[in-house]
Amino acid sequence: MSAMDARRFETLAEAHGGLIARWPVAEQDAAYAWLAEAPQAAQAVLAQALALDEALDVLRPPTGSAGLREAIIAAAPAPARRWALGRWLAGAGIGAALAAASLAGVVVGVQVAGPSVAVDAADATLAAASEEDWTLLPDGESQS
Amino acid sequence: MTLSSGDPDEALVARVGRGDHAAVQALVARKLPRMLQLAQRMLSDPGEAEDVAQEVFVRAWKQAPNWKPGVARFDTWLHRVALNLCYDRLRRRRERAMAEPPDQVDPGPAPDRGLLARDTGMRVTAALAALPDRQREAVVLCHYQDLGNIEAASLMGVSVEALESLLSRGRRALRAALADLRE
Repeated sequence: MSAMDARRFETLAEAHGGLIARWPVAEQDAAYAWLAEAPQAAQAVLAQALALDEALDVLRPPTGSAGLREAIIAAAPAPARRWALGRWLAGAGIGAALAAASLAGVVVGVQVAGPSVAVDAADATLAAASEEDWTLLPDGESQS
Repeated sequence: MTLSSGDPDEALVARVGRGDHAAVQALVARKLPRMLQLAQRMLSDPGEAEDVAQEVFVRAWKQAPNWKPGVARFDTWLHRVALNLCYDRLRRRRERAMAEPPDQVDPGPAPDRGLLARDTGMRVTAALAALPDRQREAVVLCHYQDLGNIEAASLMGVSVEALESLLSRGRRALRAALADLRE
């Protein structure tokens, strides 16, 4: 723990504000110890610094104009076509495997659980497999 | 996710570098508010702040495929790029001001000035804008961007002691400028 006295405590508050949690990490333990040792004086120092913090916090974070976010995203480079195609083909392979597995499940399900339950389960599996394929494509790639 | 470099943005930047559109959106959601805030506090001009934020991301998109983890945190690099762009604009403003001295502005009648003075946000913005650039940079990085003293000092290329001095002088000036707000 670093050395702390009234002067150093004031210096830190003046530089870093009224919240000890925002002071240099290496000095926080000593600062809390000083706060416990001389609470009245230390609290007065913190209160003065906190008043400035609160005044500065009157400025809310800017949100940016409509369309800024979209313009920034639109400026991002698209992935290489070959890479996208490779990812799509890999995804299609996974999708096909899942679809085959689900069809096998349909057959077994029809035999074991009756048509209604089996068809629902197969539909859900196929839908999940289909979504998996398309999520491997970046937005903007054709899904049709 | 934090990878071996300890940079919380490392995985996201790697995905951006591979052209992952979802990662692009996530990075913008994570960093755009911080870049806007930084530029707005440094320049006190919403339009210029947005221009800076857009330019920061143009550089980020170029850099992402070649990003080498471990050299610097991506967030620190983004801050450095944004600050450089802000300083370019501040320098151009000064050059324009020297070339074309502004006309004397009529401060208007006293009641209007009184109304203006009561607008705390404008007062704080004006007080920040009146600080010397390096003091404003220190206050913005530590107070608004919530960077630690070591990271902020490194970003500014100064020692932590020098940063503390810049912060102290900056906050003293702000306190003096805004003293009546706290009465």
